[in-house]
Amino acid sequence: MLMSINKFMKGSVAGWMKASGEHADIVMSTRIRLARNLRGHLFPIASNPEDANQVDEVVKEVLLNSGEKGYEYMRMSDVPLLDRQILVEKHLISPQLTDSKRNGAVILSEDETVSLMINEEDHIRIQCIYPGFQLENAYEHADSVDNELEDKLPYAFDEEFGYLTSCPSNTGTGMRASVMMHLPALTITKQIDRIIPAVTRLGMVVRGSYGEGSEALGNIYQISNQTTLGKTEKEILADLKNVALRLIAHERRSREVLLAKSKIALENKLFRSLGIIKYARLLPSGEAARCLSDVRLGIDLEIIQDIDMSILNELMIFMQPGFLQQYARTELTAEERDIFRADLFRERLSVNQVSEREDSGE
Amino acid sequence: MICDNCKERQASVILTQENEGVKTERHLCEKCAFQSQMFHLDPSQEPLSIQQFLSHWFGGIDSMQSLQQSKEGIPEGPTCPDCGLTFKRFLDIGKFGCPTCYSTFKERLPRIFSKLHNGHMSHTGKIPVSFNELFAVKKKIEEIRADMQEAIQAERFEDAALLRDEVKALKSRLATCQDGGGDADVN
Repeated sequence: MLMSINKFMKGSVAGWMKASGEHADIVMSTRIRLARNLRGHLFPIASNPEDANQVDEVVKEVLLNSGEKGYEYMRMSDVPLLDRQILVEKHLISPQLTDSKRNGAVILSEDETVSLMINEEDHIRIQCIYPGFQLENAYEHADSVDNELEDKLPYAFDEEFGYLTSCPSNTGTGMRASVMMHLPALTITKQIDRIIPAVTRLGMVVRGSYGEGSEALGNIYQISNQTTLGKTEKEILADLKNVALRLIAHERRSREVLLAKSKIALENKLFRSLGIIKYARLLPSGEAARCLSDVRLGIDLEIIQDIDMSILNELMIFMQPGFLQQYARTELTAEERDIFRADLFRERLSVNQVSEREDSGE
Repeated sequence: MICDNCKERQASVILTQENEGVKTERHLCEKCAFQSQMFHLDPSQEPLSIQQFLSHWFGGIDSMQSLQQSKEGIPEGPTCPDCGLTFKRFLDIGKFGCPTCYSTFKERLPRIFSKLHNGHMSHTGKIPVSFNELFAVKKKIEEIRADMQEAIQAERFEDAALLRDEVKALKSRLATCQDGGGDADVN
């Protein structure tokens, strides 16, 4: 009836979902975003369609004609609604870009490591996502794309204020560096409530995984730099790296304490969650996220074996409404989604155990 | 909620206006809010923290009403020649409309940046290579011009003519570096 889940997922896995990179058990992905604008054009908030089209044309031309092969250009107005939603769910574009009146477009690299948004809040938003904790690598990659563009395009840059952006909170480097962290032990022990204000005082922002205003679904937090002016890119990265490393150490300590103090209770909780995602027939997204977090922790602590971490990473993305509907090839009501989500989880987790070994032989 | 004005985009800001005791409220998208001249932003609204921050810029006022009143008295400030944004409007929306806004509001920006960026007011990070080149060329032109003046004063007109050609060549290079910018600030 349906394409096998295995196959469907293989076609949709973005580079950053692979469980690799340093501290990949805690840091799920690293992202760098650079905001850039062109001189002689109004920012998207004030521009008219002709102006926006001009920006689109010049940016597209430079990138598609660059030495790098495999870039794909998509104009938002040509992308079906569901596909746009999926791009958002994969963190490749922002929800704002999907607004079809905005003349927005995205250019993706083949492995989806680089995504470049045109006519979002700024003319250009370069984004690089890497799996695990790889701030330097992700920045170098974003920087090289930036160099390629600045070679051909007249950037709006000011000696004093740096890169000129539509929002004054991005002025300067235009850079937002962020790491997505799985912090279940800090959350269970409620230490996170004390940590968030402390991190904020260090000039960082802590948010739920889906950006501004979202809560920490599945104990996943996004930590990023708040300020973009007065520090070099390297300094911003170093500061963020420091904070992230301290959080990692803290999380690891809390995990040890949990394990030492309440091993049975912890095992019970984690295995119950594994049971839910393996056998549930209705799986609401909140419960799915919570259980995935538990199973992930179980794998990290070597309590749960025989489950591949990258499957969890994929499920986290594919449990979202857009993906489920693409998989089902039809629109789904909330309850239907819960049914499909449960199906997807069961199939993916059993597929893993039975046939993963055969697959790896191909 | 859909924008009251364009009926197309998502509304993200609430603008209120009080007219003879009647309060009108409009839900607008960012873009329409940018263009709307007559309404004031309601500072109590949720979405953009930066916007809230800036709309409380003339700080020290607690109640919303007194804020509203105090803002009435605030002059529009300079107007950006390229996109028409006034400084007051910039504080309302929390976004610049174009690169020229930065030079239009230049004097007022350091204080704002200082608050937003932990006391920092100027950029120390990456500089585009082309910008460095541009600067080098501009400087070179100034130097040659000075030489040219000297040559003219010393009545070395042949030298001066050569220097003039050199300036010409550099200026055309500058123009290609700057295409799209259109600002002929070399003179």
